Amino acid sequence: MANLTKLYSDIDFTFTRKPVTNDVALSYDSQAVIRSVRNLLQTRHYERPFNPDLGSNMDAMLFEPISMLTASSIESEISNTIKNYEPRVILQKVEVIPTPEQNAYEATLSFFLENSSSPTSITLLLERNR
Amino acid sequence: MAGSNTNIQITDLDFDSIKTNFINYLKSQDVLKDYNYDGSALSVLLDVLAYNTQYNAYYLNMVANEMFLDSALQRDSVISLAKLLNYTPKSATAPEAIVNVVVNQVTNDASLTLPKYTTFLSEAIDGVNYTFVNDETVVVDVVNNTATFNNLKIKQGTPAGMSYVVDSTQNPKYTFKIPEINVDTNTLSVTVQETSTNTSFQVYNKATSFLSVDGDSLVYFLQEGPGGYYEINFGNNVLGKKLSDGNIVRLSYLTTLGTSSYGANSFVSMNNIGGYSNIVVSPVSASSTGSAKESLSSIKFQAPKSYAAQGRAVTKEDYITAIQQNNLGFTFDSVNVWGGQENDPPIYGQVFISAKPNGGYTFTATQKQRLVDSVIKPLSVMTVQPTFVDPDYTYIQITANVVYDPKRTNLTAGDLKSLIKSTLMSYSAKTLNTFNSTFSTTDYSEVIKNTDPSIITNEINIQVQKKIFPILTGATTYKLHYGVGLKRGLFLSGINSSPSIKVRDPVTPSVIIDSLFVEEVPQATGGVSSISMINPGFGYQSTPTVKILGDGTGATAEAVLSINGTIRQINVTNKGSNYTSAIVEIVPASNDTTGQLASAIVTLEGRYGTLRTYYNNTQNIKKIFNATAGTVDYNMGVVTLDSFNPFDVNNQLGQLTITANPATTMLSSSYNRIITVDPFDPTSIIVNVTARQT
Repeated sequence: MANLTKLYSDIDFTFTRKPVTNDVALSYDSQAVIRSVRNLLQTRHYERPFNPDLGSNMDAMLFEPISMLTASSIESEISNTIKNYEPRVILQKVEVIPTPEQNAYEATLSFFLENSSSPTSITLLLERNR
Repeated sequence: MAGSNTNIQITDLDFDSIKTNFINYLKSQDVLKDYNYDGSALSVLLDVLAYNTQYNAYYLNMVANEMFLDSALQRDSVISLAKLLNYTPKSATAPEAIVNVVVNQVTNDASLTLPKYTTFLSEAIDGVNYTFVNDETVVVDVVNNTATFNNLKIKQGTPAGMSYVVDSTQNPKYTFKIPEINVDTNTLSVTVQETSTNTSFQVYNKATSFLSVDGDSLVYFLQEGPGGYYEINFGNNVLGKKLSDGNIVRLSYLTTLGTSSYGANSFVSMNNIGGYSNIVVSPVSASSTGSAKESLSSIKFQAPKSYAAQGRAVTKEDYITAIQQNNLGFTFDSVNVWGGQENDPPIYGQVFISAKPNGGYTFTATQKQRLVDSVIKPLSVMTVQPTFVDPDYTYIQITANVVYDPKRTNLTAGDLKSLIKSTLMSYSAKTLNTFNSTFSTTDYSEVIKNTDPSIITNEINIQVQKKIFPILTGATTYKLHYGVGLKRGLFLSGINSSPSIKVRDPVTPSVIIDSLFVEEVPQATGGVSSISMINPGFGYQSTPTVKILGDGTGATAEAVLSINGTIRQINVTNKGSNYTSAIVEIVPASNDTTGQLASAIVTLEGRYGTLRTYYNNTQNIKKIFNATAGTVDYNMGVVTLDSFNPFDVNNQLGQLTITANPATTMLSSSYNRIITVDPFDPTSIIVNVTARQT
């Protein structure tokens, strides 16, 4: 079952089942790292036991008036969180664009994975959910 | 998933260590590798798992702690564990004062009743007036229109009561709570009324021994329940009579404020007595002997001892435990017990008990009798007679000479003096004042040295004191045991007394001689007291010459010959003086050719000293009043005042202090002796400080 070619491996948070082995599904390498970045951004401070600093303040920022200023704050929050807690990511660029008609922000993150030469880019729609 | 590293640490209790252990464990596999990254799903799972593990570990640790008497912290747990040892924690106990109550102008009654719970208000202690009540009804005859209630015991407390209707559905265990934390359970009285319509009632008593309890016994069982409230429950018709539905349980008791009313000694009656209001309350003894509710540490200490004694007083520890656990409200700083066979001379068949009351010096005769009658005798072996003896206090007067460097402290000489004094006083309070304690000047020297870094060196001189209250109505002999050998005094430094006393002139008793003191007769050493034969020798034809060889001068003696040529005895003809050692040489007469081998030893007077009393007459000339007022046994440390008969002692208390110099700087107390430094005597610790000359 061991997969020595994979550098990173993590449990998939969807907890789906592998059809053949019936084992829990795993995610690997870039997929695992992207998942980790998403987890970090979605974790609020004080959410993790005994580690109150871990996470980001994004949740609160999404309730601020939608503006370029808030977008800029979100940008720096994202980049700080990743720099602090995700050493596998070498961040190139974070761009957050407000989309008031959707009541959301569109965040695009460009980065390299450590030990990898190909750039990775993800786009997240940051939307408050209540 | 498990790899080679299957040993997982299970002894860590904190979150970080537990999580690190999990990570170390995961390092042994290569399926899941992201355990080190905080954002990974694996890390989230590890956090939850570690949190849960820590939570359970903490909880289990607390549960385990509370299961043992030594480690339990919650009062409820300690009480519950003490219950298994058949130990009921002591409630708060009401302090007690004794007063005489005189009701005047009683005109229409032949006798007068002082009802239970008549209220007396004390003077203010720290700004608070306390309520005292009598806890039993007293009836006295009226004599000359006056009713006198002598030696009335009044207790600090407020009467309170509670009643419960018995309902076996609601309360199947028949447990009834006393809703007051500060109840004095010694004052608890329990009555059970038949029903609300049938008002006849029966009094129930507290069950103390199960041997005498059967199914008809009217007893209740007392225990401390949850939250520190006492509760009582009743029997099951096997051990104690069972209650029936509809019975009404009535509890009445005092709630007390504990020791805060100590010292109250002036009271006024708040009620008319039998309708009469001309009431005079005079104090006999001030409020004392109460206690607060038993503390957790005391329960932890006492419960196993109580269990070990098994309700009997056989060993020394049994006696001490029984006395400390008395239900009379007496509290102690220290208790000591020893068998009479250890006395000198031995007294067989008696157990001697000595106790120092909490914050006081001695118990009154009545209190001692109550301790013996109510606490000791019911538990002790029938043939053993318990005897209570007062503690015998030896006071130590400390003079400390301290050299300090003023450059190494901000304190002035005066500050340093009072700092050292208070440090020594608190060290004394901590280490002395109990039986079986030891005083050593070395310890005190060390304490002074550690008081302030500026102190360079110090020396300590001590004197030992006995404080007596001489009887002023007749000649009495006082034997003062200092518990330590005494140093022979030189001129003006021997045994002395303070303050001065007054005596009647023996020739004309109407003349009072004032400013009389006791002192040791200043003599360097004594003479020869006696000579005892070791070997009478033989063949002496005529009386030999006896020579006394020693470091003194003037002693002479002569031998007495028996008819068979041995020496019968040697008589001292002149005691001489200044001997510290001496031997006897028996020299046959010059014409005696056969007398030989007689030998003898010398007993010197030096073991004993003499006390005398003196005063300075009107011309300020020292006059000896009584040259043989007493003796001093230096080896045994006993000062005897023979037929001491002062007319008055010149201080308010009537207390006379006899000061002596101990032969050693280390004192130990045993039996009923207590060594103490008197906190009320301003001269008990004298500190002299000297700045170092630079």
